Amino acid sequence: MSRVPLGRWVVAIPMSLLALATIYPLLFTVNVAMKTRRDYILDRFSLTDALRFENISTAWNSVGMGRYFVNSVLVVTCSVALLLLFGSMAGFALSQLRFRGSSALFLACLAGLFVPFQVIMVPLARTMADSGLIDTYPGLILVYVAQFLPFTVFLMTSYYKTIPSEIVDAARIDGNSVYGVYRRIMLPLGTPALLSVGILNALFCWNDVLMSLVMMPSADHRTLMVGVTSLRGQYSDDIPTFASGVLIAAIPVLVVYLFLQRQIADGVAAGSTKG
Amino acid sequence: MPIGNVQPSVRPAQAGRTDGAVARSSVRRGGARSRRTGGGVWSERLAPLVLVAPAVLIIVVLRLYPLLLGVNFSFTGDGARNGMAVGLDNYRELFEDPLFRTALGNVGLLVLLLPVAVAIPGLLATFIYLRVPGHRLYRGVYFFPAVLSPVIVGAIFNLLLAFDGPLNAVLGSVGVSPVDWLGDPDLAMFIVVGVHIWATFGMALVVFLAGFATLDSALLDAARVDGASLPQVIWHVIIPSLTRTIQFVFVTTMIGMLTSMFGLLFVMTSGGPEGSTYLPEYYIWIQQGQMNRPALASAASTVLFVIMLVVGLLQINLLRRAGKEA
Repeated sequence: MSRVPLGRWVVAIPMSLLALATIYPLLFTVNVAMKTRRDYILDRFSLTDALRFENISTAWNSVGMGRYFVNSVLVVTCSVALLLLFGSMAGFALSQLRFRGSSALFLACLAGLFVPFQVIMVPLARTMADSGLIDTYPGLILVYVAQFLPFTVFLMTSYYKTIPSEIVDAARIDGNSVYGVYRRIMLPLGTPALLSVGILNALFCWNDVLMSLVMMPSADHRTLMVGVTSLRGQYSDDIPTFASGVLIAAIPVLVVYLFLQRQIADGVAAGSTKG
Repeated sequence: MPIGNVQPSVRPAQAGRTDGAVARSSVRRGGARSRRTGGGVWSERLAPLVLVAPAVLIIVVLRLYPLLLGVNFSFTGDGARNGMAVGLDNYRELFEDPLFRTALGNVGLLVLLLPVAVAIPGLLATFIYLRVPGHRLYRGVYFFPAVLSPVIVGAIFNLLLAFDGPLNAVLGSVGVSPVDWLGDPDLAMFIVVGVHIWATFGMALVVFLAGFATLDSALLDAARVDGASLPQVIWHVIIPSLTRTIQFVFVTTMIGMLTSMFGLLFVMTSGGPEGSTYLPEYYIWIQQGQMNRPALASAASTVLFVIMLVVGLLQINLLRRAGKEA
């Protein structure tokens, strides 16, 4: 392509415009969240005249986004911790230990990948209601863990497969039990994969709305994304507050993305190339 | 080497300070001193199962078993006929319901739009791979909306596309009369799908770029030396070498369209106007949660599952055949 620099620029122009179209909606929302209601009605596009945080604090306090935020943080943290624990345990066993039935168990885990939540929503909600787990944090956490575990097991297994089995053998000769090998060798060695899978899982859980809607009917158990959906009806005439609510839900993702973009992209890429 | 068998011979210390082989044979004899050792071996033998158990149990109990329950449930009745076997009644009702038919029609629309949703990130990834100016920046920017929740994306676009919103204000300033983007039954579904593609093309882009990383650059250089044009390079070099990646993107994009648009539909249109933006997943949710028709919802779930299986298998087959011909 270096011999046709003109062609490169011809492509670069639409690509830059697309890049602009990709981030503009979010920038617009940030700007609106800083404006007063009157400013927004007078001119939607002008830059805000001051960095105003009143709308954000209204959304956080009186709209209840603060409460939902705490709920989301709680549920996501517990879900990701369990996902990483169970995922790495199973990944280690399925990749490094040879035992009867291991390939059947691996297939059972993989089969979970092909069962989306929508398909099992009704029976799952019923089971959860029967066992008293509906509208409880453990219930939602369990649903998240079940949802993202197949993917986590799959990625951890393929990551641990790249670790030479001599390392495990050597650790065993040094007198470690299987659990010792897991705790002292496999967990530390798995850090890059755990980080990558952990971030992806955190995003998936944070961004979910359907499971949370089905599992958490009562208003004080709402997670942040369900909170955002409830803004629509109530604040459709107060756009700056609406935009602030949206922003509260988006900011953690934005921060994670700015700092950990590589790990997220690597996780997605690993999921595709190992498939 | 099977770990379970290594254990007794490599850990004489725990095996009662005797030779490993002796310890093993004494286990078989059931000697009093070595029963403790036998327990150790057993716990080591069981260790792999213990490690796998939580994951497998959760997946089987909360994913695979509910699938069977749901299929079973779809042949029973709702309300007064709760729990009674009703044969195919739910399915009959489902296919007579105009809302579900619209949902299936919209699935057809998604299938038609699928090549577009795959070609856009594919082409962009090609340009980034060929290092257009600014290629480092594009990847980071394009991928960004893919990490946002559909709910957030939907809420932002609600704002932008409102009848009295900014987009119509811009159009108005150049003399175009306002368009009811989300209120026009002929338009709304296209808008929602468009927003979905806007939000997710970065994901497919990253997958494509991972595929490009495995591409043999010597092939590209050879084609370039032979004077191949860009379309020729794409058609004769890139597409054949990336069949697996393209296949993967086709299947995941379709599955994404079938299973991750709920947030957008819920926030942007709630299935309206006039039910024109229903998809099976939205229909399932409405019947289960709002209409209190869980058995009917289960039938819709089963149909969605079959659609997903068919789509997956069909695409894999088609692409495999195309790959062989090329």
